[in-house]
Amino acid sequence: MKPPALARFLLLAVAGEHQAEFVAGDLHEEFLLLCAARGRPAGSRWYVGQVLRSAATLLGMRFRSGEAAHLVAAAVLAVAMPLLLLDRLWRFVYSQIPLKDGLERAPGFWAANLICVCVCAAVCGSLASSVHRALGVALASAAAAACALWWGAAATPTVIAGLVIAAAPVSSLAVFAWRRLR
Amino acid sequence: MPKGEALGEFEYLVMLAVMRLGADAYGMRVRQEIAARTGRDVTIGAVYATLERLVEKGLLSASLSEPTAERGGRAKRSFVLTGVGMEAANRARRDLESMLDGLEFPLPGGPR
Repeated sequence: MKPPALARFLLLAVAGEHQAEFVAGDLHEEFLLLCAARGRPAGSRWYVGQVLRSAATLLGMRFRSGEAAHLVAAAVLAVAMPLLLLDRLWRFVYSQIPLKDGLERAPGFWAANLICVCVCAAVCGSLASSVHRALGVALASAAAAACALWWGAAATPTVIAGLVIAAAPVSSLAVFAWRRLR
Repeated sequence: MPKGEALGEFEYLVMLAVMRLGADAYGMRVRQEIAARTGRDVTIGAVYATLERLVEKGLLSASLSEPTAERGGRAKRSFVLTGVGMEAANRARRDLESMLDGLEFPLPGGPR
């Protein structure tokens, strides 16, 4: 019997490489005991609750150990920076066209942002050395994309923002999985 | 004692749980021991953060065991008090007893 997959992935994404092994093992052991005593739904609820309530503490430990700093730096340089630079570029392009400055951007510009995020996050994912790191990169790239959109000059439509934030981790994990399968 | 070396309340609880559990002191058991004895709903993250801090302070030492099936094929990290940790626990107990000495419980005005 396995704990809920999403909670397991979240745990591996936020916990440091050193801690993830023991924390996941401890939670798995107690999850099995709870499932035997109170049933699987109660065990799953407890597992998800523990992961959600421990996430900030585990992330803090990862930052203190310096491990998360590398992931954040990679995500900022590879995902957030290109997005912000693209935003500046599109703003410049619009400012050069009479009567276009300040108008909503055409779908083509948003599509370019999306492709850029996918490519950059994929490059990040391809450099991850383990599943644990790949999950960390995916989480960090989604956060970096969200920050870049929030920081950007133009108001991003909600659908586009959702697509960009989802595309970053998906493409990062997809390339990592493809590389592993090869 | 230099500032920062004194034990916090939760650190003390974790150290006492490690002492009680002996060779069986690892994250899950420590969490369960504290929950069972104090009624606190402690998270595994808080327990590991504290255990890690105590190891860094030199009050606990950690060792790894082989991965087992009931842990999903993952290793276990067990903890044991060091000599410095034992001294710190004794000092914390003396301090607490000294502070409690002469006080009458329940305290006036508090819940009975």
